[in-house]
This record gives sequence, structure tokens and C-alpha cells, in this order.
Amino acid sequence: MSDFHGMDDLLQDFLVEATDLLSGVDNKLVDLERAPGDRALLNEIFRGFHTIKGGAGFLHAAELVTLCHLTENLFDKLRNGELEVTPEIMDAILDATATVRHMFGYLERGVQPPGAEAHLLQDLKNAVAGQVGVAVAVPAVALAPVMAESLAATGPDWHALHAAVTGVLIANNGPASRAANVYVAEASSTAFGRRATDKPGNIQMSGRREGERVRETAIRVDTARLDQVLNLSGEIGLTKNRLNALRSDILNGKQDGETLQALDAAVSQLDLLVSDLQNAVMKTRMQPVGRLFQKYPRIVRDLARGLGKEIEVELAGEDTEIDKTMIEDLSDPIIHLLRNAVDHGVETPSERLALGKPTKAQVRLEAHQEGDHIVLLVSDDGRGMNPENLRAKALEKGLITDEEANMMDERQSLNLVLLPGFSTAAQVSDVSGRGVGMDVVKTNIQKLNGAIEIRSTPGKGTTFTISLPLTLAILPVLLVRLGEQPFALPLSMVREILPVQPDEIQEIGGRATMVVRGEVLSILPLASLLGWEQVNAPEYGVLMQTAESSFILAIDAFAGREDAVIKSLDDFRPKGVAGVTTLSNGQVVLILDIKELLASRGDTRGVSRQALLAKLAEAA
Amino acid sequence: MSDPKMKFLVVDDFATMRRIVRNLLKELGFANVDEAEDGAVALQRLQGGGFDFVVTDWNMPNMDGLQLLQAVRANPALAHLPVLMITAEAKKENIIAAAQAGASGYIVKPFTAGTLSEKLSKIFEKQNAKAA
Repeated sequence: MSDFHGMDDLLQDFLVEATDLLSGVDNKLVDLERAPGDRALLNEIFRGFHTIKGGAGFLHAAELVTLCHLTENLFDKLRNGELEVTPEIMDAILDATATVRHMFGYLERGVQPPGAEAHLLQDLKNAVAGQVGVAVAVPAVALAPVMAESLAATGPDWHALHAAVTGVLIANNGPASRAANVYVAEASSTAFGRRATDKPGNIQMSGRREGERVRETAIRVDTARLDQVLNLSGEIGLTKNRLNALRSDILNGKQDGETLQALDAAVSQLDLLVSDLQNAVMKTRMQPVGRLFQKYPRIVRDLARGLGKEIEVELAGEDTEIDKTMIEDLSDPIIHLLRNAVDHGVETPSERLALGKPTKAQVRLEAHQEGDHIVLLVSDDGRGMNPENLRAKALEKGLITDEEANMMDERQSLNLVLLPGFSTAAQVSDVSGRGVGMDVVKTNIQKLNGAIEIRSTPGKGTTFTISLPLTLAILPVLLVRLGEQPFALPLSMVREILPVQPDEIQEIGGRATMVVRGEVLSILPLASLLGWEQVNAPEYGVLMQTAESSFILAIDAFAGREDAVIKSLDDFRPKGVAGVTTLSNGQVVLILDIKELLASRGDTRGVSRQALLAKLAEAA
Repeated sequence: MSDPKMKFLVVDDFATMRRIVRNLLKELGFANVDEAEDGAVALQRLQGGGFDFVVTDWNMPNMDGLQLLQAVRANPALAHLPVLMITAEAKKENIIAAAQAGASGYIVKPFTAGTLSEKLSKIFEKQNAKAA
């Protein structure tokens, strides 16, 4: 049930805008740590909280108003020079920002946020009053007896735990107890090395919270782009009128050259306008990736601080535009990659000093467009990865066999880190290294029809390259034929096309294979993947590359390539079919989901040479 | 003087807030509303003419509400315009500063259509009294 009945629109608007604002504030806070006396910066941060407070008031989010108000007061004093930024004040401010973000989480779910933790409010009040450094984290010792006691009962008593950590008793149940849940989990896991008050900046980044995050449904579009859409649809209307007039002319028997020429001109104009309109509509969904990047410097800062590392985040290409849905789906993978870079990639300052590197490590996040792809780079100048070590580790964990390990090249070895259950950190830290995450990164990227590649130089650093299609709505496909039936394959998986010569087919281990430039690849006939009978001997092979393997898909013929507009089959989705598209002649074609086809088949061992060539022999 | 056709300029850097004010004005029957995202933009729009009423936020980048108010009062072509200040501050010194700069009214966030209506009618009354 929503606490915001009748204000849903307003709430959406507020959240979109305020979240942006808060990300901006977060970044400015990171800058502020470097330049604590910068008045302009202080002023901007002040205004951020002030604006959020104003909006929250209209939503009757009293707790949010209270928190913002206190923080704003603090900044008022800071910007007027009455107070100076101290590490304690900074901690309180960062804590406040994190809590504001947490409250946004409640608003997103249509629930009034519970109050901020009392010690935070007290910290802020103390800071405003000029008393600094009063906040003391409750010693971890206090936690232990409570934990033991409550665990002895039916399970952890979150209220008692929360009370032990924060020194506050939760009065009401409802959302507040859920909040306690989150806070305690974080506070206790970060108890050593970090102060309990020093929460990671973005609570959402702890990811896997009961999947309660609601997708943003509102989008901000530049009015110029909307105007363009409007303009184009108007012109299409005019062209339609022209066509209507021509139609009645033609139906009335007027079929002279002039009329037909006018018809031709009108149709080509419509053609142009429609593709322009498609582009323009697509553009309304495009958002600068900077909105996504904004929140990362803060996250990295918090992580680095917790681990005692010095890291500078460099952002580049924030203006690059990506489809909005992709921006949302990219958020978690990039956080994982950054966490990894901070935790595993970058060395501690003393290690770096010993290696003759600058103590401050660089983590770089970059986006740019390459043809019809968007490329995202996450790189660090840390210790890099050693393919040898990775193979040994994977072997030890039983993720690969001895034989596989011996056959792996450097690229494949590096890709091992993307396997589920792979974690190179000898000790599991609270930041990363649970062996989950990297495989999630890969799955998420693949869901977006993207690919991820790893390059690493031991001692120099690691770069993760994510390449993504510009949009998810249009998919370049290769049309292949099996008999008379066309099928579409995502072009992103196609490496090359080659003829299948019977005398080049060899049988290894009972399956048909071909050697392509020294690489032994098994041949899988499309017919057998689909469960069809092989009618003709295949004439062509498509070298398909998935993240795990490469193979040759044997087909009968080609029908060209096309930019398919995907219609997804929402209610009815046969296995192995990603969607359908319509060809220019009106024919409906299935777009195949090769990975699913391979998986549904269970074994990908292929067929024997004989089975493959039986028909050929028959024909000959 | 409260002509439903009169044209409002709502000035705020926060789009959500502009929308809130616009909706409240609409509730009160004023549908002719234009928006500006800071004082500098607002001043430009006002100089273009055609506006009858300004509702402005205080805290904005580039040119804040108080500066806008001062600029409006200093401009003979605009000086007559009623300016209603909206702010989250109920501090005495702020209210005094606004009054000294010649604000026609002062309203503290958050407010309801009722409060806004009350402030507006007070301003209209004053104007009518002046005109009479």
C-alpha cells in the first residue's frame, strides 16, 4: 500500500530529480574532502539538501525533512565560515547522505521512511552546535553478549541488536524494524577496521536486498528531442494526407505518369520520415551515462577508505548516451567491477610504495561509442592478474579439468574469473571475494546482448571492457536458411562464415569437427539443435562465438543480414527463441537464442561425421 | 484583479517544485503558467514581457530569488509586478530581507493550495487598493 496516494506522479518526479541531485552532492562531497574550504562547493551542497528538503515537505516525508534540515544547517555554518570541515563532521555528513539515499529507497516503495538513527541526528546537532567528536561507536564487545543471547532463542533479535549497535530502541515495528535489519547487518560486518558509523555510501549497492527495488518508470527527456518527435509525427500526418488524396485519384482512374510519380515521391518521403521518427523516438530513451557514473566516485571512496587504500577515480566520456533500461541494468555490474578493482586490483599504499608506484592508485571508468556499440572500460593500475595463478586456482576449485587448464590461452585464463564460484582472494573480505559477483557481471552483460573482455598485465593493472549494443530494440541479425525456412541469428555472436567442404570434416572423438586456422571446432548442425531431421547436407558453416565456447553452426544457405526490430514473445516463449521479427516481404522469422538452444540440448558434443555427410553421400 | 487569464512565471531550479506550484496554481484556477529554472532565466523571460505575476524560490544557482526580486524592482518596466517569494526558511532575518527588497508576499514550504490562495488574494487586495 502506498503512503502517497494521489501523489504518485509527484513522488516519481521528486525521486528522479532528487536522486540526481543527491548523486551530485555525493560527488561534491568527495571533492570537498580534497578542498575542505571551497565556499562554492559548500554552497552547492547546501543547496542540494535545501532543495531536497523543500520537495520532501510536500510529500509530508517528515523524517527526510528533519534530516535534510539538520544537514543543511550544518552546511550553512560551514559555508559562512562559522565551522570548519573536520573528519568527524565529514563522517556525519557522509552518513547523512547515505541515510537520505536510504530514505529514497523507502519512498520508491511508496512507504514513508522511518527516522534517521538517533546517533546520526545527535552527531549533526552536535556538529552544528560546534561540539565535535562526540560520536563514539558502540564497542563491538557490547554486541557479542546480545548476539549470543538472542541466537540462543529462535534467531537473532534484530531489535536488541540494533539497540546494541546504535544505542537506540526501536519503538514501532513496520518499516523501522526492516531498517534495523539492514543497518545491523552492515554495522556488524564492518565492525572491525571501520567505525560502525562509517556505512558504505550507497546502501543499494549491497545489491541482493529482497529484490524490492522498484524500477524507475519516469524518464527525463530533453524537450528539443520531444519537439523533434512531434515535428516528425506532424510531417508523417501530412504525408499520409497526401497519400490519401493520391489514393482517391488513382481509384478514380487517374493513372497518368504524373500521379504515379507523385505517389512514388510520397512513399519515399514517408519512408524517410518513418526512419527518422524511429531514430528520434529511440533518442528519447537515450540518457547520458554520466548519470550512472556520478555515484561511483563516492562508492569507491568509501570502499577504499574502509580498506585503507588511496584511490582516485577518473571518469571519462560521461556524455556518451545509452538506452535508459541499459543504464539501470549496468549499475550493479559496474559496482561489482569497481569493488573488485578496489579490493583485489589495487595494492595498499605501502605495497605500492615498495613497488615504486605512486601511493594513490587510479581507477578509471570510461565510456565511448565505437560504431554501433557502446564501450565501457573499468580499469585500475593495481597488481594485475596472472593467468598462471588463475588457472591453478580454478583447477584447485575443480572448476576446470587438468586437460582444459593446459589448453587455455591467456584470454581464456583471464575469463576464468567470470566463472561462478571463482574467487581469488585467499581470505573473504566484506567488500568482495565471496565468489559471487563476477559471474553475475557476466550474466547481466550478456542479458544486454553485450560482451565483456578482460585484459591484464601483472604489476600494471587490469582493464575490463564491456561492449554493448546501442539499443536493445534493434538487433543486427544474420538470416540463415534451413531448407526453405529462414532463421535469424544475433550477429554479435557470429565470427565468420565459411563453406563446409566434406573433405575438410574430420572426426575427433566421434564428432564432426573442422580445423579453422589451427583451431579445432566442432560442427553442430542447426537442424539437430532444433530437433529437426537433417534433410540436406549442410553447405555452409557459421562460426559462432559464445562466452564459453566457439563452434560451427552448420546450415543450408544464407539469406543476408538485417537490422531486426525485435518483437518479444511475452506470453508464449518457446525454448531457444529470443523473439520474432518481420522481414521486408512480410514473412515472420524466429530469432534464435543460441545459448538456450545449446543448453536445452544438454550435450553439445555434436554429431558424427557420418551422420552429417550421410545425405551428401545419398545425393552423390 | 484576480483574472484567471493572468500569466504567472514560476521560478525554481527544482523541476518537481515548479510542477508542484504549477499544479497548485491550476487548482486555484490559474492555468496560464510559465516556468524558469533560475533568476537569470526568469529575468530574461520577464524582460520579454507578458507576465502578470512572479512566484519565485529563494535558493537558486546563478541568480537567487532575492537578487531576482531586487532586479525586478530596479527595472521600471517590471517594478510593478507582484513577486511572491517561496522558501523553506521561516527565519525572521530572511523574511525581513525579502520585505525590504520589496517582496509582495512570503510563503514557507511546504504549503497547500489554501495557503497559496490566501497569500495571493492578499496581494490582489493590496494591488486593488493601490489601483483604487
